Amino acid sequence: MSDTVLSVRNISKSFGGIHAVNDVSFDVGKGEVLGLIGPNGSGKSTLFNCVLGQLPADAGEVQIHGQRVGQMRASRLNKLGVGRTFQQLSVFPQMSVLDNIILAGQEHHGSMASRLFGPSDAGLTAEADRMIQFFKLEHLRDEMAGSLSYGQQKLVDAAMAFMAGPSLVLLDEPAGGVNLTMLANLKDRLETYNREHGTTFVVIEHNMEFVMTLCTRIIVLAEGAIIAEGTPDEIRSNQQVIDAYLGG
Amino acid sequence: MSEFIQLIVSGLSTGSIYALAAVGFTLLWQASQTINFAQGEFVMVPAFFVLVLTVKMGLPVWLAMPLAVILAVLILGALFKRLIVEPMFRHGTIPLVIATIALGILLKEMVKEFYSPLGQPFPSLFPQTVLKIGNASISVPDIANLIIAMGTIFALQLFLSGTRTGRSMQATAQNPDVAQILGVDIKRMVLYTFLINGALAAIASILITPIYLAKFSNGETLGLVAFIAAIVGGFNQIRGALVGGLLLGVIDNLSAAYFSSEYRQALPMLLLIVIILVRPQGLLGTAEGRTV
Repeated sequence: MSDTVLSVRNISKSFGGIHAVNDVSFDVGKGEVLGLIGPNGSGKSTLFNCVLGQLPADAGEVQIHGQRVGQMRASRLNKLGVGRTFQQLSVFPQMSVLDNIILAGQEHHGSMASRLFGPSDAGLTAEADRMIQFFKLEHLRDEMAGSLSYGQQKLVDAAMAFMAGPSLVLLDEPAGGVNLTMLANLKDRLETYNREHGTTFVVIEHNMEFVMTLCTRIIVLAEGAIIAEGTPDEIRSNQQVIDAYLGG
Repeated sequence: MSEFIQLIVSGLSTGSIYALAAVGFTLLWQASQTINFAQGEFVMVPAFFVLVLTVKMGLPVWLAMPLAVILAVLILGALFKRLIVEPMFRHGTIPLVIATIALGILLKEMVKEFYSPLGQPFPSLFPQTVLKIGNASISVPDIANLIIAMGTIFALQLFLSGTRTGRSMQATAQNPDVAQILGVDIKRMVLYTFLINGALAAIASILITPIYLAKFSNGETLGLVAFIAAIVGGFNQIRGALVGGLLLGVIDNLSAAYFSSEYRQALPMLLLIVIILVRPQGLLGTAEGRTV
């Protein structure tokens, strides 16, 4: 597939005698929204961490835009066009929302000298304001990020992930702990961004309603292996998936 | 009233120098969870750099002082991080704390052994004259020290909040994992913090040593007071360390004049105990949770 953004090939990872991820392969194309779901302990987070190079895989390889990432440093991955959101809150609590979002983009701009002597916003205030407006955070622009509600911080986290103009964004339980109104807003923003920019998303999520309505394709993991793959409708009616979730 | 004003100005002057060392404490803590118990000795040592450069090597004071700041940045900043903090940090906080205590003792004994156990006169940057403001007599060095120390802290705050590098340093202090993922070179940011601490210690040293003479034991009180100032103000806030330093300087002066000079060293400890009991995060600090 020429427009493959993420290619995962035969990834395996064990902890002692437990096969957390067992020979998993899949590709994600440009503009796709892929959901990774599975019951607790199915290996989603381990796979996610192997993809991001935070855990060394025992076997297999991961390529992003055709480049093998292996244990590439997080900052290098970021420069390769990979953004991510976090399961835990990841804002900088003692900085304003605006500063948080500028920070997420500034490392891609300017020379060493401009970091010390150039404009403090790296010329990114207008872009950060656009992102703030896109995520409907205008009224919180100058608030300290640490003073926001959990859901609002999740939106700031998402805005930060998109600030560097990534081509691939990995979203780790974006719906976790977010109230329904905020969740509808987040989903709407993600769909709009995907539609407007063709950005590829890989989403780990427990909230089935969120995954089924956001994702174009879903991979289901159980005991470290892929047990089903398909559109949301196909996954909903897959007996193996139902059994895995209900313990049948 | 005029005596009270004199005491306040003099207290603020000394307190602002304490604040320089206290800010260094908070910066190192925020960026690398390093509590540097050699901080007092870090303020003592640059004065001896100046003395070696002037007395032993014959350099003029105007040249020796900036050179001493550069030496402090390299030795007490970069070398300290490379030789002590990095190897010890992987063993946990307590071994690192013990290492900094040992480093403090080593620096003190080295100065005593290789330079002199006696107090040495130290050149002042400013004329020892007194200004009459109303009925109060305010010494020029007090005013100058206050301006330089506060100006340094103000410039540091401007750097941290007004430059991209400063924002990256703040991000590294608040959430290093996420900062790294966003592309921040966190190792470099931590190094900058150590270099800044070296510079702050050197400036504090040059300002405070003319008051006490240069002596190997100067760091004992300075380190303790700066540590208390950082805790009283709030260990995770630069402005907290500033307020803590100023408060201790003023309390020290007022208590010596109106209460008893015998108890002046006990008062900071008393204040520390009260703060820990009543507001453990410090006057301006914010409560922090850490996963252990």
